[in-house]
Amino acid sequence: MGSMTIGAKYKTTLKDPGTTGVLRMVRARPAPLSLLSSDWLGRFNLAPVPYWLLLRERGRGCVDSSARRASFRWDVACREGFDQNEDKFTFTPNDPRSAMKLNVDFQSIKGHKFNKVDGSKPMPPLLNLSKDSDKGGGYMFEFDNGTNRDLCRDFVARVLGKQQGTVPPRLNVLPENSITSTRPEQLSSVEMQQRMKLLQEDSELQKLHKKFVLGNILQESEFWATRKNLLDDEANKGSKQRPGFKSAMLADVRPSADGRTNKVTFSLTTEIIHQIFAEKPAVHRAFLDFVPKKMSEKDFWTKYFRAEYLVRTKNTVAAAAEAAEDEELAIFLKNDDILAKEARLKIKRVDPTLDMEADAGDDYIHLPGHGIIHDGSKETNDTDSDFARRTLSQDLNRHAAVVLEGRSSDVELTNTNTVAEALAKSKKELPSSSASDDSNHERLAKVARMTEIEDLQGPRSLPYAPLCIKDPREYFDSQQANALRSLGGNNDGRRIRSSRLSADDAFHYLLDQISSIKVNGLSCPVVHSDVALKVLNELNEGISRSRRLNLKNPQEGLLGQIPQCTRAELMDHWTAIQELLRHFWSSYPITTTVLYNKVNFNTVASLSSSSAACGATELFLFFLLSY
Amino acid sequence: MKFDVEGMTVHFPYAAIYPEQHAYMGELKRALDARGHALLEMPTGTGKTAALISLITSYSLANPARPLRLIYCTRTVHEMEKTLAELRLLFSHLPPAAARSLLALGLSSRKNLCVHPQASASAARDSVDTACRRLTASWVRDKAASDPESTPLCDFFESFDRAASAGDLASYMPPGVYTLSDLRALGRERRICPYFLARQMVKYANIVVYSYQYLLDPKVASIVSREMQKECVVVFDEAHNIDNVCIEALSVSIRKQTLEGAERNLRRISQEIDRFKATDANRLRAEYNRLVDGLAQKGNLPISDAWLANPALPDDILKEAVPGNIRRAEHFLAVLRRLVRFLDGRLETENVENEMPVSFVASIHSQAGIDQKMLRFCYDRLHSLMLTLEITDTDEFMHIQTVCDFATLIGTYTRGFSIITEPYDERMPDIRDPVIQLSCHDASLAIQPVFDRFQTVVITSGTLSPIDLYPRLLNFNPVISRSFTMSLTRDCICPMVLTRGSDQLPVSTKFDMRSDPGVVRNYGRLLLEMSSAVPDGIVCFFVSYSYMDGIVNSWNEMGILQDIMQHKLVFIETPDVVETTLALDNYRKACDCGRGAIFFSVARGKVAEGIDFDRHYGRLVIMFGVPFQYTLSRILLARLEYLRETFQIKEGDFLTFDALRQAAQCVGRVIRSKADYGMMIFADKRYSRHDKRSKLPGWILSHLHDAHLNLSTDMALHIAREFLRRMAQPYDKTGSGGNKTLLTEEDLQNMALDAMEM
Repeated sequence: MGSMTIGAKYKTTLKDPGTTGVLRMVRARPAPLSLLSSDWLGRFNLAPVPYWLLLRERGRGCVDSSARRASFRWDVACREGFDQNEDKFTFTPNDPRSAMKLNVDFQSIKGHKFNKVDGSKPMPPLLNLSKDSDKGGGYMFEFDNGTNRDLCRDFVARVLGKQQGTVPPRLNVLPENSITSTRPEQLSSVEMQQRMKLLQEDSELQKLHKKFVLGNILQESEFWATRKNLLDDEANKGSKQRPGFKSAMLADVRPSADGRTNKVTFSLTTEIIHQIFAEKPAVHRAFLDFVPKKMSEKDFWTKYFRAEYLVRTKNTVAAAAEAAEDEELAIFLKNDDILAKEARLKIKRVDPTLDMEADAGDDYIHLPGHGIIHDGSKETNDTDSDFARRTLSQDLNRHAAVVLEGRSSDVELTNTNTVAEALAKSKKELPSSSASDDSNHERLAKVARMTEIEDLQGPRSLPYAPLCIKDPREYFDSQQANALRSLGGNNDGRRIRSSRLSADDAFHYLLDQISSIKVNGLSCPVVHSDVALKVLNELNEGISRSRRLNLKNPQEGLLGQIPQCTRAELMDHWTAIQELLRHFWSSYPITTTVLYNKVNFNTVASLSSSSAACGATELFLFFLLSY
Repeated sequence: MKFDVEGMTVHFPYAAIYPEQHAYMGELKRALDARGHALLEMPTGTGKTAALISLITSYSLANPARPLRLIYCTRTVHEMEKTLAELRLLFSHLPPAAARSLLALGLSSRKNLCVHPQASASAARDSVDTACRRLTASWVRDKAASDPESTPLCDFFESFDRAASAGDLASYMPPGVYTLSDLRALGRERRICPYFLARQMVKYANIVVYSYQYLLDPKVASIVSREMQKECVVVFDEAHNIDNVCIEALSVSIRKQTLEGAERNLRRISQEIDRFKATDANRLRAEYNRLVDGLAQKGNLPISDAWLANPALPDDILKEAVPGNIRRAEHFLAVLRRLVRFLDGRLETENVENEMPVSFVASIHSQAGIDQKMLRFCYDRLHSLMLTLEITDTDEFMHIQTVCDFATLIGTYTRGFSIITEPYDERMPDIRDPVIQLSCHDASLAIQPVFDRFQTVVITSGTLSPIDLYPRLLNFNPVISRSFTMSLTRDCICPMVLTRGSDQLPVSTKFDMRSDPGVVRNYGRLLLEMSSAVPDGIVCFFVSYSYMDGIVNSWNEMGILQDIMQHKLVFIETPDVVETTLALDNYRKACDCGRGAIFFSVARGKVAEGIDFDRHYGRLVIMFGVPFQYTLSRILLARLEYLRETFQIKEGDFLTFDALRQAAQCVGRVIRSKADYGMMIFADKRYSRHDKRSKLPGWILSHLHDAHLNLSTDMALHIAREFLRRMAQPYDKTGSGGNKTLLTEEDLQNMALDAMEM
């Protein structure tokens, strides 16, 4: 289904009676992915997959090393002209004199709208292709009947979907030129949503999907078959990595004084409030109780900070006096009873190998009045007193505990009330298992882990949290840079290669090479493999090193010397080749015709075109290097 | 694995063994053969416990004539749990027949073992004890027999009692390893009291693991450890502090509050006596007759009535009748009143007084008319009286007990103690807080009965240097006294001495420097730099609570703390054990999940004593300052004087020894096995001096390169980075060439063959 032609009316406005004519919509072919389609390149018989790509690929454990020896001819799959190389629609009015002739690239179309057609209203079926969702403006077509309109609509949806990369996997429409006979897999809506989510999150994946699946090179199911782990992981995890609390102690709000008056100012944000609530359950409870029934939110926080200020300035006398007068303020000064209760519950669940509380049970030496008084034991404060002084240590411990527990809900922190309520809700969800767990196996396993001597016996796998990497390329490159940094020691800066060639020489050499190939044809590889390997190593190291040297400014690296668009292309080709290779090798051994077709027509064709493009860039780099 | 140590088969629970463990076993076997005491120092991180228990268990398996009786003393409950876990691992590697016949159990107080839903609910040990006594005391049960409705009893104890009288306690506890939580689970399941069950089964168990105090503190030892036989092997693990435990066990202090409480107690006792006179005069008369015959408790008290015993040692108490003039309850009460009044008078003093027990007893005699013999019997007489009066809430009577403890101790011992009366704390002369402290200086007093009673006592730790000092302090003659070095596959520890901050100014916690803002900032910068370079956990030790509090507050004000928190979460040890325990638990979680954390702790504190910061829980430990004791303390001065006179140990030497063993103990917590690695920074300029440094244990000194003796912050940071990079590389665990650091069964066989040939 590369194109469709339907009679329609073009209208500029709703009221406009419209111009009748023929609407023709064209979709791009699964075009060869040639971008650097220079003429001379097309005839090379390269070792078509650049070594460095393969090596990288191998490093991730995807491709067998025999791939290095693989060499295959490629023929440019220019099965059709380039006229269908882009998605567009044309409108040709029936009246040839009419000026309403359209030839629009789908690139400019951002969205489409259509009206509901039912018998009750005399409204004709309309389709509106809007240029820009904000500004309006677009093309409106009127159709004779709903079916035609729906056909058009679906076509447009698919094209637009392809452009935005979020087209739902086709369930009912089989591509026309499908070369496989596999049935499209039946997907539940959950799975489909999951795939769409994955595509949305990962732009690189989306590009690949667009190129191969929508380009009809790979089947939807094939594409996803190599990414089972992605789907599984996502299913297991259930939720994404959640942002946690900041390590900084936000709840410890410092007052700012203006220096002229006796006023101090505390400033609050919802983030801070959230942390205060999480760290001080008593304040949270008070807030839920008092606001807004008893006092306004502003009054509440004023009181709170009044109490805080008294604590901070260590003005115990004033604190006691204020607390006696104002019972709400006293709440903020008292020991947090909720915390004490939680602590009692938690202490039953701690690792027995660090349960110091149990030691107190066996300590007969330090009975009151016994033992020798040390520094510190004298500082036992009266826990009976209501206004036991809160210490910085307690605050620190509490803060760190809250940070560790993490945020329990994803609620947008918009205003205080929602914050307070969300927190209260998440608190309730906590299981209130108060029974001491003597038979808890997790605890026992922990003790066993703590006691055994690790190198006297075999290794043991530890539970881990899966790492969520947003941008794999960035991540792995920086990892490699780090690794090289530690290996390379202090040998900073690139080694200066003694180049025997001057720039001119190199250029002439390159030209000679090209012309010799022109003469000799495709008989031998353009670059000897050992030379290529050397170049590759040099390149890889150079890229990593330059990246390490100026992490902040990656543009200046070796890759940065290549024009921006070329680099982007190169990277795109690289990922595309990886993907194709994965499919290529996974098709071996070829057992069915389906696989045969896949290898021959789809994968190889696209692979060769991509690698050709890459090869060109490689040569270019080679040139740069020798320069 | 199985191998031979000097002709004896040893079962070891791992597939490989360190050479020093092998050597350690050899020495231990020699001590067992000679039936004598041993003093063994082996660095932390070399698996002392595993070596110890494997050898002793295997020894008795190989010598059926010497059945396995091992008392393993740990400092803390969590170390007890760890030891029991290692025992469980060992048992699973023993021949099945042997494993099926051995019983190992841990013993702790009611608080850690009680499963009664109400009684176990209270947080303090005293209240659990009291709640238990209310349900299980013999008179309560007598009363319940006549009046079952209104007298609640403990079902768990009743079923224990039935089983004990039927003699089938063993059926409740089949052989195996029982940790405290196992005991509780067993108690819940079989509905039997785990505490009393464990206490009874201690007599039959092959291995008992409990706290030092059950053997060293006379107050509990005479109850729990009374029936242990001479054949027992006693092990004190992590025993570098044992002298302090000993002297603390025999020290008592009396304050104003104690005396006020004691007077309250006396009033209550007098009311009770009046009540009994009116209702049940026979009971008092019967007690009188019993006291004429001899001491109140001759070992035939019901198990549930026993409570803290005489503070002095059993052998020191004369086996004779209670003096006539305190046999009658009223007379005894009058004596106690006079004693309290006398002590009250002594507290009124304006001057610091330091007396020996003899002169103190003489002044009691002249002023209160109480002679030495009456003093000595105070505690037992009180105990007897309270039993007679059927007092169950013993925790209320703590004050009068303290006074009687004091009296009994000064009545019993004439040397090795001093009585110091201070009107106020040296550091806060404005606040009047008078105290009479009876402090023991002679560690050998408390431990002597242990050496006398048991044929083999093993004292072992990672830091016992100088190893010749301990036999003098504890007054015993070990047949084996040896210090082992650590064979290392790679340099997995990296000690450094940091003397200067990044601004090249010296850092120290010397008294005149510690509050200098420059030093505080330099210490803070050091931690900040390190927290950005070191992964996972960092532990910091400070010299005291007050110093830690001060410096953390200063860092908070300077903003350094906030910067540190950018890199890692911060946890602090506080005097409150519950909070500290939770903080530690969270600290481990933070290290587990990769967030990384810093733990601030205090040398000589509870954390420094017993918590391991091994593996990723501690990649770096920083010791801020030298943890000297508070040298102006009069108790310490008195002890130093005693040490000089009795053992000819110089004050300075002892102080340095004590400080450095604490420091070594703190930094030693980071390493647990040879696969582990960690850095240690001694941040004080005083560590660079030879007299201080040389007192560190050998295994630290051997890694302390000369280049690392005088570092500044940036140099230390560089070394740390290099070290971490080196440690991240894969390495050969078994060591290479002639320097094997990990021996397999095969290696051991070859070694044995070589020895034969030679």
